[in-house]
Amino acid sequence: MNNVHTPKGDRVGRSDSVAPAWWLVFSRELADLWVGGKAFTLILIYSILLGVMVYVYSFNTELSLIPPKEAVYEMLKNAMAFSMFVGLIIGADSISGERERNTLESLLLTSSSRRQIIIGKYLAGISCWPAAFMIVIPFLNVLSQGDEVLGPAILWGALTGTLLVLAYTALGMLVSFWSSSNKVSYFTSLGIFVLLVVPAELPGKSAGAAGQFLQWVNPMAAVNHFLSKTLVNYRPVSEFLTWLTTSIVFAVLTIGLLLFYAGPGLRLEAGKGGKLWARLSRAIGLLVSASLMVFSLAASPAYAFQGNQQRVEGLTISIDKTYNIGKTGDKVEFNTVVTNNGTEATAPLIVAMNVINLDAHGDVVDPEDWSPQRTQYMESLKPGESANQSWIINTILEGDYMVYIVLIPQPGSQNATSHPIASSGIHLTVAPFTRLNPGGVLPYVIGVPIALVVLMYFIYRRRNRQIDTGGSS
Amino acid sequence: MTQRKKSKTANSQPEILVAEGLCKTYGHRKALQELSFSLRAGHILGFLGPNGAGKTTAIRILTTMLEPDSGHFAVDGIGSEYPEKIRRRIGVLPENLGFPRQMTGIEYLTYFGQLYGRTAAKARESGHTLLENVGLQQREKSLIGSFSHGMRQRIGIARALVNDPVVVFLDEPTLGLDPRGQQELLEMIQRIARERNTGVVLCSHLLSEIEGVCDDVVILNLGQIVAKGTVAEVIGRVQHTTIPRNAVRIQVAPALAAQARKILKEIPKVKKITPISEMEGWLRVELVAPVIGKSSEFYQVTNNILGALIKVKIPILGFEVDGGRLQDVFLHLTEETIK
Repeated sequence: MNNVHTPKGDRVGRSDSVAPAWWLVFSRELADLWVGGKAFTLILIYSILLGVMVYVYSFNTELSLIPPKEAVYEMLKNAMAFSMFVGLIIGADSISGERERNTLESLLLTSSSRRQIIIGKYLAGISCWPAAFMIVIPFLNVLSQGDEVLGPAILWGALTGTLLVLAYTALGMLVSFWSSSNKVSYFTSLGIFVLLVVPAELPGKSAGAAGQFLQWVNPMAAVNHFLSKTLVNYRPVSEFLTWLTTSIVFAVLTIGLLLFYAGPGLRLEAGKGGKLWARLSRAIGLLVSASLMVFSLAASPAYAFQGNQQRVEGLTISIDKTYNIGKTGDKVEFNTVVTNNGTEATAPLIVAMNVINLDAHGDVVDPEDWSPQRTQYMESLKPGESANQSWIINTILEGDYMVYIVLIPQPGSQNATSHPIASSGIHLTVAPFTRLNPGGVLPYVIGVPIALVVLMYFIYRRRNRQIDTGGSS
Repeated sequence: MTQRKKSKTANSQPEILVAEGLCKTYGHRKALQELSFSLRAGHILGFLGPNGAGKTTAIRILTTMLEPDSGHFAVDGIGSEYPEKIRRRIGVLPENLGFPRQMTGIEYLTYFGQLYGRTAAKARESGHTLLENVGLQQREKSLIGSFSHGMRQRIGIARALVNDPVVVFLDEPTLGLDPRGQQELLEMIQRIARERNTGVVLCSHLLSEIEGVCDDVVILNLGQIVAKGTVAEVIGRVQHTTIPRNAVRIQVAPALAAQARKILKEIPKVKKITPISEMEGWLRVELVAPVIGKSSEFYQVTNNILGALIKVKIPILGFEVDGGRLQDVFLHLTEETIK
């Protein structure tokens, strides 16, 4: 090997003012997604779907089939699910798609670090989420109908949605990294979406410790549970923060794998070459599964239930309303007072509300739909002590109903029981109420997609001014 | 953009690409065995071989897209253990390069210029120059999606030059181009090597073009080098030792081809005359027995053929001895694989 040329430094010298590779890739991918039309099309479809949903929810709220809080929660849940889907499919296309379009090689042939390329693509992949969330805010505002749920819904929706979109976009990119073709990548991602997201979206609750475990380990289901309890059922956030553990762990793991495993190993062929990496990926897979199981067992709510049980007689419960006549969608508020007329302190107390349809041929009432908080828990009462409770009922369906409250002292032990005490009832008469523009949502339903189309038009017009539109020669 | 001038004679140019004993195995299949060669600055190296010969594997290894199982290579003195540094010194036009359809020519080159560490302004300026060099300055604001195949190959070459590389790898750059497009592109490649003093590794199936453009040639077969050296050396070495020379090719005016065939049939020792498909006016004249090496009998027969045509005033537009072209050498050396 004689007469070898001696290098005189890098062919293209770097200077301080050059943009980092991740920023260049991010800007490029962002332009491809948004100016190329893919992201805009997805967001437009999303806004139309949201519009349809918000109309249906508003109509149901007007009919009082669901209260505003629940409509807000449902809307937020669907917006997050769609955004996760978008993140997942953009991620799924990001690497295997470039492989198939033969554009990855030229990127890998540059001197840019593989990890920076991945970071740029990842940031572009999550770019739909802020847009999607901005679009859902006016819809949430309309659905909330002035309810105080709006603020917490935006706050927790932004936080948990960001967490999930970060995780699922990273997951989509990992699938794309490992997939030999774009078709495989899309199908695998779709499979993951169906496995993890759809069960979380389906109505009905998981029963037993196993069901609760499955709900806890599924990031989307766990987040839904957290939002449902904090937004709809007025439960304190601190009580349900453990339900966010899975999504945090999931996000940290997927992003970690993407940046520290897939990033440096990005290459032309699918996955990462070498026997060492094959063993390492299996070990990481086992570690992920094991850590998810450990976390789920450690923090499962099934382990959190304990109680100190006592029993005391001499309790009364009074109610401040005897009847209410209104229409569907009304909010009925009332108060109860629990008093200990006995000579001993009571056991811890449970106060529960129930709603009964007085029409023998009418629908059976699901009290969960009528009130966000059906059960309240109290400490024990000393002799002569009283406690007040506030209640809200959303009148869902037209008809004739009876509302009453039951007071239950905690039983002293597993083989003991206690005697529930019922309040007098509130007679509810509910008449129907409908409008063509429920909750005033139509301007938003029609306006948001139109605004997006106008925005797209201006972006494309601006782009067309930057380019020659001549054909090939 | 650095314009390096040839200041020394060809042989005194520094070796800018040196490969020694490169091997690569896929499972039990040896894709590359002991690949060793070198390339000097300003030279064009033709990299030939039938499908599956190991060309793509070799190019992928030399462009740091694949790691060899064993062996070593250096680009501009930088060893293969520093792939990122090597990538800063090479330019590549892969065989099936994809392009972002929504980018204009100048945006594309600016983007890659920036990825190689240039500021946006400098990358754009360099992009303008490169587009001018490849004859696309009029289309710099057109979307690449609207480019013809030839234009895409040109912008692909411009992209390969965006970092002012020491070595450029061009994999089938003329594939799918019309004859004029092929000719223009090959002239451009020669200009790049000459004006920039850049080493060019040119993979192509157009052997006649390779012959006219390349300084050196490496022929691969079943992962091994079967011939290497200057084009003249490879042809000469193989032609005079192993290729049986029992045919000549003659080009006449297409209108006179039938008359020429009739006359040539009458010449002793001529066995068969066949028109060469897709080459109008060309006839392949096969002799009765193989004549190997510098046989006086072979020359006597070829003289008789030429004399007969001249005698009846049929103009001879071209004359080649079978086995005297790079294509013949290639076909001979890779015969078993092709069969």
